Parts: sequence; C-alpha cells; structure tokens
Amino acid sequence: MSFVEVWNLIIGNPVLNVLIALSHLLSGSFGLAIIALTIIVRLISWPLTRRQLNSTKALQEMQPKIQELQKKYGKNQQKLKQEMMQLYKEAGVNPLGCLWPMLIQFPIWIALYQAIMSALATTPESLLGLAQRLYSWDIVNQAIPLKSHFLGLDLGSSGNIIIAIIVGGTMWVQQKMTQAPAVDPGQQSTQRMMTLMMPLMFGFITLMVPSGLALYWAVSNIIGIITQYFFTGGWGYLKFRSPFQSKQ
Amino acid sequence: MKQPKILLLVVIALLPLTLVSCISGYAQLAKGWSGTAVHEGIIYVGTMDGRVVSINSSTENLEWSYSTTPVTAPSSGLSCGQTSASTAIYGTPVVDRDIVYISTYSGQVLALNMLARSQNLTFPQQRYGEWEWDCPIDNAKSNAIVADMLVHEDAIYVSSSNGRVYSLDKEFGDLNWESKVLDETHRKLWTSPVISGDALYVSTFDGHIYKLSLETGELLGWTFESDVGFASSPVIYEDTIFLGSFDRYLYAVKIGSDVPMWKFPQDKPVGNWFWASPVVNEDIVYAGCLDGRIYAIEAKTGGKLWEFNAGNPIVSSPVLVDNLLIVTDESGTVYVFDLSAELGDEAVPLKTISIGADVRSSFCAQEDLVYIRGEDNWIYVVDIDRGGVSWKVSLTIEE
Repeated sequence: MSFVEVWNLIIGNPVLNVLIALSHLLSGSFGLAIIALTIIVRLISWPLTRRQLNSTKALQEMQPKIQELQKKYGKNQQKLKQEMMQLYKEAGVNPLGCLWPMLIQFPIWIALYQAIMSALATTPESLLGLAQRLYSWDIVNQAIPLKSHFLGLDLGSSGNIIIAIIVGGTMWVQQKMTQAPAVDPGQQSTQRMMTLMMPLMFGFITLMVPSGLALYWAVSNIIGIITQYFFTGGWGYLKFRSPFQSKQ
Repeated sequence: MKQPKILLLVVIALLPLTLVSCISGYAQLAKGWSGTAVHEGIIYVGTMDGRVVSINSSTENLEWSYSTTPVTAPSSGLSCGQTSASTAIYGTPVVDRDIVYISTYSGQVLALNMLARSQNLTFPQQRYGEWEWDCPIDNAKSNAIVADMLVHEDAIYVSSSNGRVYSLDKEFGDLNWESKVLDETHRKLWTSPVISGDALYVSTFDGHIYKLSLETGELLGWTFESDVGFASSPVIYEDTIFLGSFDRYLYAVKIGSDVPMWKFPQDKPVGNWFWASPVVNEDIVYAGCLDGRIYAIEAKTGGKLWEFNAGNPIVSSPVLVDNLLIVTDESGTVYVFDLSAELGDEAVPLKTISIGADVRSSFCAQEDLVYIRGEDNWIYVVDIDRGGVSWKVSLTIEE
C-alpha cells in the first residue's frame, strides 16, 4: 500500500465522505457542510483546546510575576529563561500547550483541501476519480454532484479577497487575545511583527487555496474567538473593552 | 519564543499540504479523453496536448495535425508544476464529408477541412468551409465543452459547461439557437444530447431529462425529474431512454412518462456509477459500470441476462460490431463477447486482449479492428481476429 492509499483510507476518504454526507443532510449546501465539519473538528479537539485555554488563562494571571522577572533579570537572558521556566513549572503551565490544537488540525486541513478539490470535481478527471473514493452509502451517492456556491463564494475557486480579509482579521483578533505584551522593547517589536505577519501570511495563503478551505479557517477562527472569550472571561490582551464585559 | 515556533509549524504544515496536493493529484488538470473516429481508412482523434490529428490506417502515418490554441490553465490552488496547458479535448471528432468537427475544453467548436489541414494552411480557410465558434461564458464559471457533439442534418448540437445547449449551422458555424437547461448553481452540462424524432433529449447532473425542439431549442411538453443526478449521456431505443445515475442505478425512462419504467438492479444498487452510456441492440441493454462489471439487461423488463466482472472500472461505452460486443476496462484490457453464443449468467469473453495502457476514451471499431486512444497518448489498433495489438502509433510530438 502506498502512502497516498494509506492516507486516503485513514483520513482522506472519511473526511471526503463525511463532508458529502453532511452536504446532503444540510439541503445540499456544501458551505453549510464545511461549517458543520469545522464544528465537529472543534468538538473533537475540545480537550486539547481546553488545555490551551487553561494555559492562556494561567499565563494571563502570571503576567505580573513574569513582568517582575523580566525587570529583575532583563539583562541576563539565560537566568530570565531559567526563572521563567521554573515559574511555568510551579504553576503547571506549558507555554507551548496552545500548539496542540493547531497541530491536530493540520491533517484535517490537508484532508479538507483534498476533499474540497475532489468533491467539487472541477474537471471531468476529478469527477471520475471521485467515483472510486466514495463509500457505498446512499446518502453520499445521492449528494453527487455538489453545488459549489455558498453566500456568494465559489467554494472550489481561489482568490476571493473578502474571505482572505476575514481569515486574516479573525486570526489577528485571536492572536491579540492570547498574546501577553512583552516588556523588553526588542521583544515588543518582534512580537508586533509576528502578530501582523501570521494573519497576513494566512490571508495571502487564503488567496491561493479554494474558498472552501478558507471558509473552514474563518469559521474555526471565529469559534476560537468565541470560546476564548467565554472561557477566559473577556477579550484577553486585546485592547478594547467588550460591551458585554462588566466594569471592574 | 512562541511566535517563531508557530510560524515554523505553519510552514511545516503547508509544505505537506502542497506536497500531498501535488503527489496525489487532487487538483487534477483537464487533460482530455477524446475518442477515435474512423472515416474512409483515416483515424481522427484529439490528443492530450490539444491537437487534432489524422492518421492513415493503411500506411500507419500521420496525415496532418492541427494544434488548438493554448490557453492559460485556471488557478487550481496549491497545485504545482504546470501553470498553462494546451486546450484539452474530450469530445470525439465528428467527420462529415470533408470536414472534421472538434470541440475543446476552452469552449471552441472548430470545423477543419481535411484538404486545408493536409496543406497546413492558416486556419480558418473559409473557402474550404472552415470556421470557428467560441462558446460564450454567460456568467458561468466555464464554457468548457466536455460532451460529444452531435451532427444531424444541417446542424451541430453542443452541450456546454455554462449549462446551455447550442445548435450551430453546420456549414458556417452560425448560431441557430441556444437553450438554457441548467442554472448557475449546477452549470456543468457534460452529457451529450441525443435525437429522436423531431426532439433533442439532454440529461443533466441535477437529475432532469429535457426534451427540446430541434428547430428552436424550446422546451417541449415533457421533462423527467429524478431526485438524483444523471451521470451518463442518454441513449434512446424505440421510445425509451436509458441512462446511468449517480445513485448507482441504470434507469429506463419511457418518453412522456413521469416515473421510470425500471431501475437496474431492482433491489440494492450496483457497486458504482454507470458512467458510460449503454448500448442497446435487439431489446438488450449492454451497460458498463465503474464497479468493473458489464451487465446485459432486458430492455423491456430490466431483468439481468448476464454479467461479466472485468475487475477494473469500465469508463468507455461498449461498442457493437455485428454479433460482437467489444468492451474495454480502464486498465486497457479489451474483452470481446460473441452475442450469438450462449453466454449463461456469468459471461465468458471470446477474446481478451491487453493493450498495456489505461483507457478512458470512447473507441470505435470497424470490421475486425478496434481503434483505441490510450491514456499514454498512443493510438492502439487491436485486431480482434488475431487477438492482439496490430499496430500502434504515438500521438506525442517528439522535441
């Protein structure tokens, strides 16, 4: 069995067939199917997301102590690193814990990209190839061929600037909510650049991938923002006050 | 510390994304699968690099070749490699007297004069009856022509990916009429129209069979509607339409009726779609299926007479020559069945011949010879009598 066959068997085909089945259940709307799949993925990765949110919350609470350490050992980076690691250890916080939900979503991104390209069958070859990847479920076969339009988006085409802005914008908000401001001016400028670079990069990538995948990213980001807001109790490090946030 | 790691992870994630999309070919380019046509000893076919070629079957030499205009391929996301492609050709050339008609994936219909092409004159030579027609996009995503064209009396009938059927004047390429049968959400009209009496019938991916006036393109009184889309082009035998559906059944629909006459199989569906159009002869429907089987079905009742398991998907329509049924599977094996013999429930082919290349195109047969274009861009001429490939010729231009 080749790598591609194993991949399709374990991840590619299940994602493709679930997506098509969801599309049939949701009145033939492939866009709604992508949104439903996003919610399912977020639910599956919830235990990891909760760990990430706990880490974020703990990091927020530790900020006064961190800033104190930064002031104290600002000139000795090695010592500062040691002290901070000690602080994280004592608080039981893994600063890289937030990466796991992102990591677990990578195979889903790949599978979803492939599923969108396969399911929408933009060329006759793709449609013929799709026949060999479908399960024998009636619900799947009755959904073919899929409609590619959703809210003015052609889910199989790339280059939609509006969805690129939404993906970049929601990613920026999510980042700003979780990132503690650095005290060191050097770190501050790096952080500013990174906070801007990531959404810009994702926005740019969004222009190159099918809008269906971009829709997944946008919805995933929005769900991330909502859960972050309610779990950590506000907008975090994002510098504006929510109308729902009570005045202290 | 955290941000560079995230950036690194994104880069690492996008690398396999790009690689997997390239390796496994999910963003599949349209390469075309033009079938073969043979007329007076000359083979006509569209190549995978967008040319129309004619090959003399006696000398096995290329007579002429005409390259359709290269076009820029549409963006396919994170696809790698090719950024522009030749115009793919899916439709089988249609030969009418000294003109070869061909349609392209970039939405063109070309009328090529054999003499003008053999002299390599600039196209189009109007004095030789050559013309070119560009299909409008009409607010659709594509105007690609995938289905075979149909030439009937003075007109050519063409289905386009913009959801419309067009009738063109055969002599000058002028538009006679157009008929919109699919809306913007479905668009793809990849099935070929078929004529019966004074009407044109077209099946759609959204599960309709429309009956259009041959003269005006107007919808006539009857439309058949199914919950599931039709995968294959319709075939008409007597007053019944036979076609495959995405729900893995073969449908028989009596013209004028709102309900199918029968669905095959009568109980649970077969293993995959009936992608290729069936052929019907003497009240028997021969239908190839992507589940790798060929089924012989009673046209009146939908009862199974026999089946044969080729083991590989059957993409091309079967061909009948006298009492021989010729079937190819996707792996390039040609099966010949003697229909005059008793075939039983599990048919056994008279001959099994491998050409050694995948086959997705429609093919034609004359006398004992079968003309097949392989996915390797070669033409294979199979001699049924001898049971092997008689000769083959590459369609690729050597640099």
